[in-house]
Amino acid sequence: MIKNIFKSQRDDENTLIQNLVAGDPLAFEYVVAEYHNLMLSVARAIVGDSIADEVVQEAWISAIKALPKFEGRSSLKTWLVQIVSNGAKSRVRRENRYTPLDDGWEAVPSDKFDQTGHRIDDVLPWETATPEALLANTQLQEVIEQAFQALPAMQRAAITMIDMEGYKIDEVCNILDISSSNARVLLHRARVAVHDAIEQHQDN
Amino acid sequence: MLQCKDVTDETSNYIEGDLPFSKRIALFLHLMICRCCRNYVQQFRKTIDTVSVVRPQEVDETDRQALAKKLHAMCDKTHSGEK
Repeated sequence: MIKNIFKSQRDDENTLIQNLVAGDPLAFEYVVAEYHNLMLSVARAIVGDSIADEVVQEAWISAIKALPKFEGRSSLKTWLVQIVSNGAKSRVRRENRYTPLDDGWEAVPSDKFDQTGHRIDDVLPWETATPEALLANTQLQEVIEQAFQALPAMQRAAITMIDMEGYKIDEVCNILDISSSNARVLLHRARVAVHDAIEQHQDN
Repeated sequence: MLQCKDVTDETSNYIEGDLPFSKRIALFLHLMICRCCRNYVQQFRKTIDTVSVVRPQEVDETDRQALAKKLHAMCDKTHSGEK
């Protein structure tokens, strides 16, 4: 069964690539809709917001030019992300850019613990916050989106790649060129920020 | 002895199974006796699940249809030039 699913995903992707090479406009709309956000997230984390758009556009152009030579040794997503990551890293080297890991991030003062590190208030389980309930609650979806968008670019990339796209920590380290301890810290901070936003919404 | 604050700091590593054995045991024992931290870990897991469902996006003003058209036009030129 699982083997069949993988096979069918591979077949779908082969068809998609054939359609791209054949110049099917719908295939182009599909790949842009599917992968542009992830590529932008990676570029913003590496080069910062100001030139990320340019880096992603260049990555798309390189990818389209190289498409007939794409051998399918990795997935199309992995290949596109690698192209944008390489482009962004070489831009960083060429322009001697420095992107701080947590630009603009400030730890929320922790008033939840007493001096000995114990919780002051009771913590209750979230009964209603199932993904299904969240989908039905547009206000809470907005809370999550706003909390995500307020994160520094590196944290957004970490949570996007790991919690939404299923990347492993070591893959994220290679793509963003950061250490695994940094990747773990970025991921945790991003999750805490989103958690705290949901918690605050539940309390109100 | 772990405190609640330590559990909060290590929740991601605990969930991902990235803690050294001794720390994992210490955290597990703390969770056995502390309902608040058990609930916190449950909330944290739900946060991760819901992020994967809501899938918040980068703020982006790119006209994606226009980009797709531009790439399509470029593909036509590039690949017809190769024939």
